[in-house]
Amino acid sequence: MAPLLQARGITKRFGGLTAVSDVSFEIEKGSIVGLIGPNGAGKTTFFNMITGLYTPSDGDMIFNGQRINGTKPSEVTKLGIGRTFQNIRLFAHMTALENVLVGQHCRMHTGLLGTLFRTPSMRAEEKAARQKAFALLEYVGLGRNSADEMAKNLPYGDQRRLEVARALATDPKLLLLDEPTAGMNPKETDALTELIYRVRDERDLTVLLIEHDMKVVMGISERVTVLDRGIKISEGLPREVQTDPKVVEAYLGTGHAAKGKGGGAPVFDKA
Amino acid sequence: MPNTKRYLTTGGVGFAVGTFFLWNYPNLGLGAALLGGLVIAALCLLYSAPLPDMIKAGLIAGMFGAVMTIVYGTHKPGVAIIAGMLSGLGAGLLAFQRSPQANPKKAAILGAEAGAIAGAWTGLALFVMAFVIAPAAGISAGDFAEHLSETVILADTLGLGSDILILLFAFGFSTLTGALLGAAACAARSLPLRPNIPLLAVIALPVLLIPLIDRAGNLLLLDALIPIYIFILLALGLNIVVGYAGLLDLGYAAFFAIGAYTTAMLSSPHLGINLSFWLVIWVAAAVAAIAGLTLGAPTLPLRGDYLAIVTLGFGEIVPILFRSLGGGPPGGTLTLRFFGMPIGIEQVDLTGGNKGINPISPPHLPLIGDFEPSNKIPWYYLLIVIMGLAIFFINRLRDSRQGRAWMAMREDELAADAMGINVVRTKLLAFSMGAMFSGFGGAFYGAFIGAIFPSSFDFSVSIILLCMVILGGLGNMTGVIVGGLLIQGADKMFIPKGAELFRRIAETKARAEDTSTVGVSALQDLTQQRLLLFGIVLVVMMLVRPEGLLPNERRKAELHPDDDTINSNSVAAEAEADPSLAA
Repeated sequence: MAPLLQARGITKRFGGLTAVSDVSFEIEKGSIVGLIGPNGAGKTTFFNMITGLYTPSDGDMIFNGQRINGTKPSEVTKLGIGRTFQNIRLFAHMTALENVLVGQHCRMHTGLLGTLFRTPSMRAEEKAARQKAFALLEYVGLGRNSADEMAKNLPYGDQRRLEVARALATDPKLLLLDEPTAGMNPKETDALTELIYRVRDERDLTVLLIEHDMKVVMGISERVTVLDRGIKISEGLPREVQTDPKVVEAYLGTGHAAKGKGGGAPVFDKA
Repeated sequence: MPNTKRYLTTGGVGFAVGTFFLWNYPNLGLGAALLGGLVIAALCLLYSAPLPDMIKAGLIAGMFGAVMTIVYGTHKPGVAIIAGMLSGLGAGLLAFQRSPQANPKKAAILGAEAGAIAGAWTGLALFVMAFVIAPAAGISAGDFAEHLSETVILADTLGLGSDILILLFAFGFSTLTGALLGAAACAARSLPLRPNIPLLAVIALPVLLIPLIDRAGNLLLLDALIPIYIFILLALGLNIVVGYAGLLDLGYAAFFAIGAYTTAMLSSPHLGINLSFWLVIWVAAAVAAIAGLTLGAPTLPLRGDYLAIVTLGFGEIVPILFRSLGGGPPGGTLTLRFFGMPIGIEQVDLTGGNKGINPISPPHLPLIGDFEPSNKIPWYYLLIVIMGLAIFFINRLRDSRQGRAWMAMREDELAADAMGINVVRTKLLAFSMGAMFSGFGGAFYGAFIGAIFPSSFDFSVSIILLCMVILGGLGNMTGVIVGGLLIQGADKMFIPKGAELFRRIAETKARAEDTSTVGVSALQDLTQQRLLLFGIVLVVMMLVRPEGLLPNERRKAELHPDDDTINSNSVAAEAEADPSLAA
């Protein structure tokens, strides 16, 4: 089976700086893949190249058999890639329900005339969209009471969930989560991890996540890719990656690498 | 004590105003002191927290009624009645908004109390007017009451002889109608019907009745009201661009001009094309919408300040273009050089240059015939229809896929893009829709005024429109309408009439003292200061309430329209039943 997303020799240069250099990797359909690396490793740049915010300087990004280099973000979303943001980017002054409805925008078809004259098909579409939005809010664990709450007034954890609901509303095949548990307490993190599993299992999705929290990444990902200074340095099962000396070195510096070989790096103890 | 500062500020302002009056117009001293005291007392009451909402609402709306009564009183005392009605209605709605009552009866009582307070305020202002201000302006209390009785038809029928009785009657009348309308407004809103319809009825009724009251009382309000409504229509269109889509447009008057000039060119003897207004208004709207696209396309990558500068330029260019399209003597040629080759173009006077286009044909209807400039009533109703349609369709646009896309783009353009919204199309749609409504406004304006000049569409029009949108509350149609009524009402009604009142008072005083009437005080000519006043109001607003008078509230009610109620059980059940949704 062909992989859902395939990156072939992706490179991104900003002027003289090469943020991502010749990275190739694949995501199998139905898998949960983690993309990790120290700060400045090029994770988010890579993410932005998938979603169309940046165009790769070199290489090909192939989604579902289609080359998507330089496709506009809205078109990429339409093809089936939904995303969340590292620092939450909800539509702050719209209600939770409206946020999810906006997510469904690219799956709706009513045109201007349909809107102005509120045709039966527009009403039906709107009603269905609304029901789906309510269902999605419930699915991610936001109660009915939150539906009319302004997004900016929701608690932090709920905002993260709402972002997931909004991304799911675009009917993605591939869901990109940019540090979904950033700033969450352990309880919220566990709940979100559980949600990611559920999303994958019940909705037949493929998930790519960037994460700093090693515990989350190692616990949830089936495969992990490690970037450091724009270069892919390791790839494989979480357990393999964890003990890869290059990874340990990238995270903790050369001094620790030797120690890491012996007893495993301290950061990964909890994993 | 957090309110102390406010009491002190209000007191200080009141003291300054009172001193000014006493110093300049000693014969006004008593009335000024009385009225100033009341206003200050009301403001203090408003600021102190524990006051019931209905009293606050009554006071707020009542002050509007009182100001209207005093400003218009010397001309048309009957305005007091309308002011009492309107402020009662406003008070009822305000009271309801602040403390909604589910029970229609309780709501009616709440509205009646608020309405009565507002109406009584207006009535009180009537007394101040009759015994203090009118005499100061050279009208005796008796004359004033007589004027009033001409308006209040019943006063004659009831045989109310004395001035006091007529005044008392008017007082009671404005209090009663205020209370009734307030009660009706409140009760209607709390009915378990679809919320929009009774509310709409309550608001529409006085709006529709104004021409009849106006004619019965010979108040000549329509002359001022029609331009006010036109500006509100324009502000509603601007609100799409600025309020919903978040694109700061400083040249919106350009589209107004385009609509008006399209109408003028196609529906006047000027170019010999004399099409029917009913066709031309659509053409004007379409041309304006296309102009919106034309402006939108090159400005797509621009945001915030940069967009504002470009739109500002556009707003300046369009009137200049219309001015220069009329240039040259008849039969003259304009010579252009194209790669050195001179090309002569016969100059056609398209727009009449500075002289504008005059006359423009009025609309024609089978039963009414041509709309006459002297009879404003058909114009008024035509405009109400246009505005009603505009409000109706803008509402639909906002509560739709397109409207949500505008708002998402306003909130976060990048996130909107990432959620699958085509930002280019969404921006262009906002520009063209906004422009389209001002095209309608421009077409009506051209036909109504009957003559247009490039100077009617200068920068200040764009700015005043923007002020209306910001004052009322960005992105909220009710707010924009209220903001428009306030700013345009001040511009076209209160300030001119207030200035005239000042002038009359000053003249009377000068006559009494046997001095020259020339060069009294600069304040008499308030009309010269109107832009200063708007500036002050805007600065104060930005400091005190930057979100506008009626900010975009949580849209709970709108998201749960009763016709397709999604109650929690049914959706949960459906979600369970439908595996594609739940699982």
